[in-house]
Amino acid sequence: MAEPSSLDVLLKGSSGRNTRGLLRIVILLTVAAAAVASRLFSVIRFESIIHEFDPWFNFRATKYLVENGFYSFWDWFDDRTWHPLGRVTGGTLYPGLMVTSGVIWHVLRLLTIPVDIRNVCVMLAPGFSGLTALAMYLLTCEMSTSPSAGLLAAAFMGIAPGYISRSVAGSYDNEAIAIFLMVFTFYLWIKAVKNGSIMWGALTALFYGYMVSAWGGYVFITNIIPLHVFVLLCMGRYSSRAYIAYTTWYALGTLGSMQIPFVGFLPIRNSDHMSALGVFGLIQLVAFAEFVRGFLPGKQFQRLLTSMVLLTFGIGFAGLVLLTVSGVVAPWSGRFYSLWDTGYAKIHIPIIASVSEHQPTAWPAFFFDLNFLIWLFPAGVFMCFQSLKDEHVFVIIYAVLSSYFAGVMVRLMLTLTPIVCVAAAMALSAVLDNFLTLGKPTPPSKVNADGSKFFGSGKGPMVGIYSSISKLFVSGTITLYLLIFVAHCTWVTSNAYSSPSVVLASRMPDGSQFIIDDYREAYYWLRQNTPDNAKIMSWWDYGYQIGGMADRPTLVDNNTWNNTHIATVGKAMSSREEVSYPILRQHDVDYVLVVFGGLLGYSGDDLNKFLWMVRIAEGIWPDEVKERDFFTSRGEYRVDEEATPTMRNSLMYKMSYYNYQSLFPAGQAVDRVRGVKLPAEGPQLNTLEEAFTSENWIIRIFKVKDLDNFGRDHSNVVAFDKGLKKKRATKKKGPRVLRTE
Amino acid sequence: MRFFTATVLGLLVPSLATASNLTTPYQIAVPADFKPPQVFRNTNLVRNTNLEKGYVRETINVVVENIDKQPQSQYYIPFSSEVFDRVGGFEVRDKKAPEKGRFQVEVTEPSSGNQYFVVHLSEPLAPKAQVTLGISYSILAALSPLPATIKQNDQQFLTYTFSAYTPSAYQTVTQKTKLKFPNANVPDYTSTAGLKSGADPERKGATYTYGPYDTAKVTPGTEYPITVRYEFTNPVIAVTRLERDIEVSHWGGNLATEERYWLRNNGSKLANHFSRVEWTFANYQKAPSSAVRELAYPLQPGSVDPYFIDDIGNVSTSRYRPGNGKTAANLELKPRYPIFGGWNYSFKVGWNSDLSRFLRKGAGADSHILKVPFLQGPKMSEGVQYEHVVVRVILPEGAKHVRFETVEGLNSNGLPGSNQIHASLSGFKTYMDTLGRTTLTLEVDSLTDEARDAQLVVTYEHSLTDALRKPLTIIAGVITLFVATWAIGNIDTSIKKR
Repeated sequence: MAEPSSLDVLLKGSSGRNTRGLLRIVILLTVAAAAVASRLFSVIRFESIIHEFDPWFNFRATKYLVENGFYSFWDWFDDRTWHPLGRVTGGTLYPGLMVTSGVIWHVLRLLTIPVDIRNVCVMLAPGFSGLTALAMYLLTCEMSTSPSAGLLAAAFMGIAPGYISRSVAGSYDNEAIAIFLMVFTFYLWIKAVKNGSIMWGALTALFYGYMVSAWGGYVFITNIIPLHVFVLLCMGRYSSRAYIAYTTWYALGTLGSMQIPFVGFLPIRNSDHMSALGVFGLIQLVAFAEFVRGFLPGKQFQRLLTSMVLLTFGIGFAGLVLLTVSGVVAPWSGRFYSLWDTGYAKIHIPIIASVSEHQPTAWPAFFFDLNFLIWLFPAGVFMCFQSLKDEHVFVIIYAVLSSYFAGVMVRLMLTLTPIVCVAAAMALSAVLDNFLTLGKPTPPSKVNADGSKFFGSGKGPMVGIYSSISKLFVSGTITLYLLIFVAHCTWVTSNAYSSPSVVLASRMPDGSQFIIDDYREAYYWLRQNTPDNAKIMSWWDYGYQIGGMADRPTLVDNNTWNNTHIATVGKAMSSREEVSYPILRQHDVDYVLVVFGGLLGYSGDDLNKFLWMVRIAEGIWPDEVKERDFFTSRGEYRVDEEATPTMRNSLMYKMSYYNYQSLFPAGQAVDRVRGVKLPAEGPQLNTLEEAFTSENWIIRIFKVKDLDNFGRDHSNVVAFDKGLKKKRATKKKGPRVLRTE
Repeated sequence: MRFFTATVLGLLVPSLATASNLTTPYQIAVPADFKPPQVFRNTNLVRNTNLEKGYVRETINVVVENIDKQPQSQYYIPFSSEVFDRVGGFEVRDKKAPEKGRFQVEVTEPSSGNQYFVVHLSEPLAPKAQVTLGISYSILAALSPLPATIKQNDQQFLTYTFSAYTPSAYQTVTQKTKLKFPNANVPDYTSTAGLKSGADPERKGATYTYGPYDTAKVTPGTEYPITVRYEFTNPVIAVTRLERDIEVSHWGGNLATEERYWLRNNGSKLANHFSRVEWTFANYQKAPSSAVRELAYPLQPGSVDPYFIDDIGNVSTSRYRPGNGKTAANLELKPRYPIFGGWNYSFKVGWNSDLSRFLRKGAGADSHILKVPFLQGPKMSEGVQYEHVVVRVILPEGAKHVRFETVEGLNSNGLPGSNQIHASLSGFKTYMDTLGRTTLTLEVDSLTDEARDAQLVVTYEHSLTDALRKPLTIIAGVITLFVATWAIGNIDTSIKKR
């Protein structure tokens, strides 16, 4: 038996501890590497490119930071967006992301490693998800005595699609670093509560401050930590540890968060932050009560306590209402309301509802994003009830809250994923710890202790797994689940979350990849061949991309702070030319950009988003733009022969189909997205002229005509020009006039 | 950091400068009303003007006779000051002995509207003796489209204006000009009157001949403007700036090339805007067009890992056809959009090659000789003109005694003389360099794709110590890091009582 003995040397005693420590490090590094590697699908398939919409703004801001230095970034007034308003960008963004990549870039440059800032940005999210896996390990190790729980949680976090969805390479968004910061802040908080240490509390505050600088979702932390403390207080678990941890965190964290210009005085003025303040006050009172309790007899103390609680609650609540009514404390924000009432946004703020990631989650999405973790999750939460220490209370609160939020808004799946990983890892590690032991349980063994924890109180009869068949069966099943999980995660990541959406891929008949690159074709055309200051009007989805890739000023972009301005663009798009043209002129628009998928069957085009433009415009000008007018009498949204006159005369419709019919034999033009045959006669544009159309017609750019030299109406000019060539044109003009009037 | 670099370079550069042949172009100062001494006479002059490409290529063969009493060696060739900067690849050889290479050429400052190339004949021409000079050069941006705006599918016409009398500083006895057009479609051309008997020009297919004129009585500098307008339904490709980096890596055995282009089509602008429908149909019929559809870029055999990117990422429409190791590889660059007249497109291409094909050991132990193309660029039938070219040869860290020369052959290599190339040395820090890599920067204005085959030879010295500098630095850095970590880890910061 030489083999087991040599293994024993490795696995037992102090060298055994070292071996396990080394193994753990190796496993963690492998997990981190897997987390990074699984996010690189899009880089390998396409290229190192920034994805989607918002990341383009972050990228542009990062470039600005790198080029102009921190202080001018801080004071950045951007006159190339929201024309003619501009945007105080430095004061209205969360700078954490840009500063992080800026620092990384500067460090690399100091080591004279020439890395393009774009590559830093592209690889930031995968890099940080490797760190998230490590933070997850630390957090879970605080929750469970089993050493395997942490490793499992790290592995889950590394590849769970719920997190990958927001952190693939190129997805350069705030969430890329925020999830790491959130998990790490929670770890530090648990550490602080456990140890009652000012150092850990201060570290929590530090990372909380970082989190505030990185993502608006910091409010989640701002509320969940006070809630944790509040629940602990309600459970009668006040301790000096909690007091030290919370007061340290709150004082330092709030100060830290107020350093971010975009947050500023919100922590003391906004309702979202009031719970933290309230609990801060409460814990002072409780601490005082605890202090007093030491000097007073029980009965008097009870009375004093009750009256004090009632009084403070009454005063506090009244004060809050008063301050809210008087406007000192800002009322809840719209997005906050939409968290409680999923219908709220649709009625009051269509602009929020129009974003797909703000929609309520469909139930299959939970399984899609978390696979088997979702049914291990309740088991893990249940286990937290078993040994209900302070940190387990935290897990339970987090689980309940984030489950609700994830159900309300698709993108909050992101906050749910960490806690699901923690809980599932706890549950699974308990199973594995019991079933993956070779020896049979003997009363004093460690395995039994764990096993008894799982099956109930340790005082009952000895329970344990004796049959190796059942061990084999259960561990086999679990292995199978794990394998399926890995396969599922890979599949989901590869198919659902790794498309840059700037570049589209399709397959040629021979199986080779065909890349549809229309977006960049058109943006680059704008960048190279239009004046540097040409104003581009497009629907707000493309604002950031135009700013980033075409480098031209835009009217509206994905930062939706000014609803009216967006509605103006919506109105210009959905109105007749005679109405739109003055709007375009007033806003100095040089080019109008529309996305048209009709030729290719690209469904994410502007005509399919058109109703949102109409709705948002109608929200501001209910008399001028009416959603009803865009539907046929039978309530259908149509673009073919039966399209309503309002639809046909809208600028969006005209731009989308302008000259499209001439690509087909007469009368056979087909829109492949909406699957309809188009009218034989294409729309006529008077005030705009086609400037550029990309190869697959996805992007169409129109130039706004200047005023006519003879002071004529544009429609007259076009009619005159046509009249010179053909006489038929005037005849055609007749019915058109009738129809519009 | 910068200070450090500066001091190190300060130490480096003198030793480099002593051994190198770096040049800065200069202009000979001349008085404002300078007239070249009338010591020569052109007994016969034939000018060939080639208009087949997007630029003008002229070769002048002239028989020069010394009419002075002293042997003379300085022959002046005038260009008007506006044109002078756009004259590229200027070269003069002895037509009878081209193997002797080019004559040394200097340039003068502008004076009374003219600027001169001063040709230094290798041996002074004795009185009454004759020599035949072969002068070749190209003129950039001399062609202008007329009409300046055309419809997308229309034919494009270019005009070229020149003087029937070839500008010369000296009396010319007889002269003629041959024009070679890309095709026979020449709707407009100037017919001279009274310069010679018979029809002028004589037309023969796509070749038009003006002259011969008897100009013994005509004062030098007299102009007789001639304008021709001919069809050229091809893009007029102009690279406003080309930056070409050639990076030598001894450790990797790799020669990395990266080129950054700022491209413009100087052809007729679009009268209306771009119409995708028309373009689709025109492409389907493969009709000739004034737009750049595709750039064919031949690479040398053995070139690998090519890339074609622009400011916003990879251009997915390109295609690479690798050679089989001996035949040239081909990079088919298709810009994101067709480049019509007046449109711009900037992009970057790069590739790697095996260094051993380009580098060999020199005479000394540490001496190395690098032979690389001076210019590569797309190979287009319509030609490419380069307004400003910057070639950077990034040598390994610590390379010293850098010298460069361009390879001369029997024919013009398309480059101006070495004294017209602005050369300088600098440092370039990348990939954990401590001193920075020695970088030879060569700048030339007004080149054409005639220079595609020109070869550049760079010799330098690089020793084993230089090669080992980086690994040693990195090892030292890592050791420092470990020691620092260990030292910091050993500091006890606890506030407990010990």
